[in-house]
Amino acid sequence: MTDENKPASAETPIEQQLYAIRQTIQTRAVHGVFANWRVALVLITQLVYYGLPWLQWENRQAVLFDLAARKFYIFGLVFWPQDFVYLTGLLILAALSLFLFTAVAGRLWCGYACPQTVYTEIFMWVESWLEGDHVARKKLDASPWNANKLKKRGLKHVAWFALALWTGFTFVGYFTPIKELAVEFVSFGLGPWEAFWIFFYAFATWGNAGFMREQVCKYMCPYARFQSVMFDSDTLTVTYDNSIGEPRGPRSKKTDYKAAGLGTCVDCNVCVQVCPTGIDIRNGLQYECIGCAACIDGCDQIMDKMGYPRGLIRYTTENVVKGKYPDSGILKHILRPRTIIYTVLLTAIASAFLYSLATRVPLRVDVVRDRVALSKETDEGMIENVYRLQLINKDDQTHRYTIQAEGINGLQVVTASREVSAAPLQTIDIPVSLIADPVDLKGRSIEVTFNIRSTDDPGIHTEVGTKFFNR
Amino acid sequence: MLQRLIHILWPSFLVAGVADILFTTLFDPLEILYRGEPLIEQRLAAYTVGFFVFWLLGIASSAMTCYFQRSADEINRCPLPPRKRPEGCPKRDDGSNCC
Repeated sequence: MTDENKPASAETPIEQQLYAIRQTIQTRAVHGVFANWRVALVLITQLVYYGLPWLQWENRQAVLFDLAARKFYIFGLVFWPQDFVYLTGLLILAALSLFLFTAVAGRLWCGYACPQTVYTEIFMWVESWLEGDHVARKKLDASPWNANKLKKRGLKHVAWFALALWTGFTFVGYFTPIKELAVEFVSFGLGPWEAFWIFFYAFATWGNAGFMREQVCKYMCPYARFQSVMFDSDTLTVTYDNSIGEPRGPRSKKTDYKAAGLGTCVDCNVCVQVCPTGIDIRNGLQYECIGCAACIDGCDQIMDKMGYPRGLIRYTTENVVKGKYPDSGILKHILRPRTIIYTVLLTAIASAFLYSLATRVPLRVDVVRDRVALSKETDEGMIENVYRLQLINKDDQTHRYTIQAEGINGLQVVTASREVSAAPLQTIDIPVSLIADPVDLKGRSIEVTFNIRSTDDPGIHTEVGTKFFNR
Repeated sequence: MLQRLIHILWPSFLVAGVADILFTTLFDPLEILYRGEPLIEQRLAAYTVGFFVFWLLGIASSAMTCYFQRSADEINRCPLPPRKRPEGCPKRDDGSNCC
C-alpha cells in the first residue's frame, strides 16, 4: 500500500483492501495416530489412481473412459452415452455417502482423502525432504536469493513438476489408452490435445498442491461452505475442550496446575503451528478447519511430555463438550434420524443401481421411421410401413439377432435376411418393412412393438415401440 | 486481486466442466453440422474447444457479476485523495480549513 491509499485519520479509506493478504503457511511436521491414517490413505488412494489405468482386462485397459470412441470401459462392463443414467446414479450415491460421513464424523473427506489434501501432503513431503523442517523453510523464505536458495528451490520445483507431470499423464491415461500414450509420451509423439491436457492437469496439480494449498479449501471449495448444514450437535468434530484446557498458560512441568488454577493448555501454540490452514482451533469450530486432526496429534505429544491426560483437543461432539453425555456415549448417538435417513436412502439407491446394472441388457435398438412416405400400398393391396432399426451390440461378443413385430393381426416383418449379426460394440442399420392387411387395421395409427432377440443368448432381448400408419 | 480472479475463474471452470460433459454426452460433436459440413473433425478437439468456449462464457458471466457488485457508494466516490482534488472542488481538502 502506498501512503496515498492509507486511510487518513478521520477520513473514510479511499480504497479498502477486499481480502486479507495471504501469509505463506509453513506447517510443523506432526506424528501420531491421525497423521499415520493420512499417510495410509495417501498411499492407498494414489496406488489406485496411478495404478488403475495400467490394469488389463481381456486384452484391453480395464478402466478406460475412451472419449474419442465415446465408450466407457469398466472391467467387464461397457457404457455408452445412452447409459448416462448410471453416471448420474453414481454421483447421487457419492453425494449421499458424503452427507452420511459428514453427519457422523465431520470433514473426514477433506482431512484424509480429498485430492487437494493428498497432493498437498505429498508435495510437503518433497518440500521437507529437500528444504528441511518448518524452521529451515521459514529461514529460506526470508533469506535473499543466493546460490543455495536457488539450488534448493530449483530442485524442489523440478521434483514437484515431475510428480505433477506424472499425475497429469495418469489423468489423461484414464481417457485415452495409457500404453499408447506412454509410447507417444517418451517418443515426443503426443497428439496436440493429449499433450495439452497432460500439461494443463500437471500445471493445475503443481499450482494447487505447491502454491494455492489451503486457499483452495478456503476460497474455492463449495463443500467447505455448506458443511455446517450437515453438522449437528452429535457430529464428531475436531474440538478443543475449553472445560479442561482453560485457563491456559505456561507453567513448569513440576507445577501442580490445578492448585495454580490453570487448565491443561500450556499455550505452546503447537496446534497453530501444525495447522495446514493456519487457524487456532482453540477459537472453536471454523469453516477453515479441514478436519485433518494434525492439532490432535500435536497436542497429544505435548500432553504426553507434560504427563497430562491426552484429549485436550480430540474428536468429540458439541453435546459432549456441553456436558449432555460423556465421550463413551458418542457411539450411541451415531444412530439418529439424520444418519438413519441417509443410510436408508443410500441403501435403497445402491440396491436399485446394482440391480439395474446386473440386469442390464447389452443391446440397444432405436427405431427411425422412413421419412419419405408414412405408408404405402403394395401391389397386393396390403399396407406397408418402412423403418430403419439402429442396433447397437453393447456386449464384447458377437451376437446374431432375429427381429419380430407384434401389435396387428397377421403382421409380416420383411428384412433382407432372417438373422442379423453384430460384432462387439458394433452399430448396424437394418432396413425393415412391416406389412399388414388393411382389414386388420383399426384406426389411423396403430401401436406396434419390435422384438429383437439374440439367437445365441436367450438373456439378450429388447422391445421397442413405434407406430404403424394406415393410408 | 488474486482472490477476485479466483472468484471469476473458478465457478466458471466448474460450470464449464459440467456443461461440457452434459453437452457432449447428449450430442456427438462429430454430428454437429455447420452449413452442411461437419464443424469439427476430432472428438478430443471438440471436447477441449467446447470446454474452453463454456469456460469463456462462464468467465464473462462471473466477471459481469463482479463488475455489477460495486455499490453506488463505490461508484460515486472520487478516486482522488482529498488533498489532490482539483482547485474549486467542494470536496477538496488541502488542510487549510482545519485549525
